[in-house]
Amino acid sequence: MPSHFEGVDSMTEQLSGAQILCRALQDEGVDLIFGYPGGAIMPFYHALPEFPGLRHVLVRHEQAAVHAADGYARASGRVGVCVATSGPGATNLVTGLATAQMDNTPVLAITGQVPRAMIGRDAFQETDIIGITQPITKHNVLVHDVTELADTIRDALAIAAEGRPGPVLVDVPKDVQNQKAEYTSTRGRPAKKEVPERWLEQPREAALRHAARLIAEARRPVIMAGHGVLLSGAYDELRRFAEQTGIPVITTLLGISGFPESHPLHLGMPGMHGEVHVNRAIQYADVLIGVGLRFDDRVTGNTAQFAPRAKIIHIELDPAEIGKNVPVALGIVGDAREVLAQLAETVRPRDCAEWQTEIASFAKHRVESFRGDLSPESILRTLDEVTNGGCTVVSDVGQHQMWIAKLFPYQRPNTHITSGGLGTMGFAVPAAMGVHFARPEEPVWAISGDGGFQMNMQEIATMVQEKIPVKMAIFNNGYLGMVRQWQQFFHGRRYSATPIWSPDYVKLAEAYGIAGWRVESADQTADVIRQATAHDGPTLVEFMIEQEANVFPMIPPGASLSEPIEGEPAPTLVQV
Amino acid sequence: MTLSHTLSVLLDEELITLSRAVGMLRRRNLNIRSIAVGPSATPGVARLTIMLQSDEPTADRLARQLHKVVGVHEAVAFSARDGVTRELALIKVRADHSRYAELLDVALLYKATVVDESSEAVILEVSGSEAFVLSFLRALERFDVLEVARTGAVALDRAPVAGVPFSLTSETVS
Repeated sequence: MPSHFEGVDSMTEQLSGAQILCRALQDEGVDLIFGYPGGAIMPFYHALPEFPGLRHVLVRHEQAAVHAADGYARASGRVGVCVATSGPGATNLVTGLATAQMDNTPVLAITGQVPRAMIGRDAFQETDIIGITQPITKHNVLVHDVTELADTIRDALAIAAEGRPGPVLVDVPKDVQNQKAEYTSTRGRPAKKEVPERWLEQPREAALRHAARLIAEARRPVIMAGHGVLLSGAYDELRRFAEQTGIPVITTLLGISGFPESHPLHLGMPGMHGEVHVNRAIQYADVLIGVGLRFDDRVTGNTAQFAPRAKIIHIELDPAEIGKNVPVALGIVGDAREVLAQLAETVRPRDCAEWQTEIASFAKHRVESFRGDLSPESILRTLDEVTNGGCTVVSDVGQHQMWIAKLFPYQRPNTHITSGGLGTMGFAVPAAMGVHFARPEEPVWAISGDGGFQMNMQEIATMVQEKIPVKMAIFNNGYLGMVRQWQQFFHGRRYSATPIWSPDYVKLAEAYGIAGWRVESADQTADVIRQATAHDGPTLVEFMIEQEANVFPMIPPGASLSEPIEGEPAPTLVQV
Repeated sequence: MTLSHTLSVLLDEELITLSRAVGMLRRRNLNIRSIAVGPSATPGVARLTIMLQSDEPTADRLARQLHKVVGVHEAVAFSARDGVTRELALIKVRADHSRYAELLDVALLYKATVVDESSEAVILEVSGSEAFVLSFLRALERFDVLEVARTGAVALDRAPVAGVPFSLTSETVS
């Protein structure tokens, strides 16, 4: 073709919807997609090889695709992208989208849909995924025409990431993927919605002065840092503010690794499984500064008795959160990093030496409930020592999650990744795959219980095929341990449906062609962790831990933070 | 204190946006009395009016939640005394010629009008505050009421509307 036609040709170049989809993703900086093909998304998969900049990871179940995208998003701060077909492919995303929604992580899910003419006719593999995911996404859109496609993808990526992040789903009918159009932007981004001034309570400067006054007058202040600290990257600002005022820092489950745990001002995790001195500090506090959190019921226990002496200052990006779960004395609507930086400028430097001494006197030596020498504590301590603190730990949900949260000494920002709000078992293994792509240079450990591991262990095949060197560990106690613990404490030790059988994990590893170890005593731990970490590909380590170990202390559900169960023998409170 | 509160919401005139907004109301588990939706002053923008029984912080928080929904331009909460509320009702009453005059007397008292009449039934139209409409319905209990259709309340805040509800629809940034 004569060269002078080339320019004209590219200006009027007609692309298929599928090509536009890929092109828009690529142009917006996406380079990684977790997905699974199927009928209604086939045009997209047909176009995909034309875009070598889009690395595709074929998972074994769509739930893993969304968890992996979530893990990638949490570790990288970028939007994680996953793709599934219509019907069952789309419905398999539901748990992962709800997980991302509860923990506010930016995820874009793209689903195929039956052709437009078939929508509403109960066609093969048709499901109303827009209706299904409306309550569990930040936003979702059905694309009606190819001319909307590029802008919809750009908007979706922006909406997922901006403000309080969250998952966005874009549903693309198969015939829209095949429609032809020019690749272009037809309009700019819709204006970002600003928070109306009437919800700011008072201008920022006045709010900061008010906060500074409350802090200056406080005798027993505490800071409670949540996920917002990690999402906004407010590590330095939090530290500066804490050091300037001497205020002790509590980190919630999702706030863990937002503040170095070796720091003398770090107290620990609050709430249901918080240490006694942390919860007592909350109950004695006269000012509580909550940063980037929603005062979840697992943090507060009975809200009527939560921090009864404290004036609460709530720093939070989303004005709908302020006063939602606990009454506050002062709400400051804003980004955690920005507000903490301003607050550090506004407060008068002070110390809290007396208060720190008082809190130290609350501290109790943690009651060891781990019989046998292979305790979760010893495993986690060894993992930290062997990796020299240089690994990211992705936990699943249950007892091991609490042990990791409480016992692993996190020093580096954002190295603790877990499903907090939704409490999704099966999260760790697929999420760790995503974390690996965000941090290819460092070991990523996915630690699960024997229950959660069996929920998504099919992803070992993905790791093998895609060469994803995730280090998997299983804390095997032969029980759904957290439920068993509740049965022990509150249901008269009736262990209904909690004993759980496992396959031979070493043989399972062998079947998948990966390295596997079983650790039965503490003296093997360091050596095995060292070998697994050094190994090139994915590995699996099974730790045979005490069957009936419990997580202490524990605030019974619905009780106040002042009523912990501190250790064995745990009371048997029948509460059916 | 639990009171009647109005949520007045300006949103894109699309079923999907309405569905998102109403879905939000359902999920937050509140005591909703009525929902009315129709065009607003701006083309393409609908006004959704929700009457709910709640305390003021709850109503305000719901407005904040609604404000986050993509496609919602403005959401304000105000108490019954801070707004003007009206609803319209159509009431079908079985025609009883022996009591026709009595029926018209009651209608006159409530400024209701006869909008349709057949040998079997009369349709009356009334509008006013929710309490006024309810009072009329009670007054009609002594007749044979066949069917009732109520619009649900629409309302406007007495104060000038806060925020910038109208300009947002067309404004874009590149």
